[in-house]
Amino acid sequence: MAEQEEEQNPNAIAKLEIPTGRVKKIMKLDKDISKVSSEALFLIASSTELFLQFLADKSAHVAMEKKKRTVRVEHLRAAVKRHRPTSDFLLDSLPVPPQPSTSNPPKERAKMRLEKKSVPFATRSIEAFFQKFT
Amino acid sequence: MSSSNNNNLNYSKPIFSLKMVDNYSSSEASPSNDVAKEQERLLPIANVGRIMKQILPSNAKISKEAKETMQECVSEFIGFVTGEASEKCRKERRKTVNGDDVCWAMGTLGFDNYAGPLKRYLDRH
Repeated sequence: MAEQEEEQNPNAIAKLEIPTGRVKKIMKLDKDISKVSSEALFLIASSTELFLQFLADKSAHVAMEKKKRTVRVEHLRAAVKRHRPTSDFLLDSLPVPPQPSTSNPPKERAKMRLEKKSVPFATRSIEAFFQKFT
Repeated sequence: MSSSNNNNLNYSKPIFSLKMVDNYSSSEASPSNDVAKEQERLLPIANVGRIMKQILPSNAKISKEAKETMQECVSEFIGFVTGEASEKCRKERRKTVNGDDVCWAMGTLGFDNYAGPLKRYLDRH
């Protein structure tokens, strides 16, 4: 019985959806890489798949939060931001989000700029004041 | 984006910069060659899309840009882990990146919940 279970598990893990040949090519883009063991290749390919699933899952959550049925780049970006190890290496690589010019008509933006300037010079912000006491 | 150095993966420069430059094709090269080269840096979009679909609820859709961005993210992940593992080998003067190097790299980068169990499975078989 235990043997049968063991036989089922390897198939679940060993079956990769992504092509290892391509993974190897991507690894070899790094000139410092000369040889890669088959074990290393398998581990990287499997982990990559897990990472892909993880990111897809998180992005789907973000899309659901925003009540959208289609997962878009901005959901992906939010998902990346929420996971520290991922954002550390990935955030800078994501395409730059579109400038808020579409959501903020010029009148709004001018108003925002004015509001920013309205605080007198050398005034501490309210938050800074309260932070001392927390 | 730098155009002088595009083969050497270096983590201050994302892999996306590689898309902008192609040292190998001459100006007479056909466009399809450039596209093919670019595609070699990415996992096939069909596979990426399929894996994403398996995770998402059945009524969910994925925008084309999201799939393409995911392709890039995943290549970055591969390059990132590979770079760390390779650096370890270099420091230890070894030529072949092995499973332990990969596990170590994942752990260093904060992804130890992936490689650990996989490695243990491999060690048993």
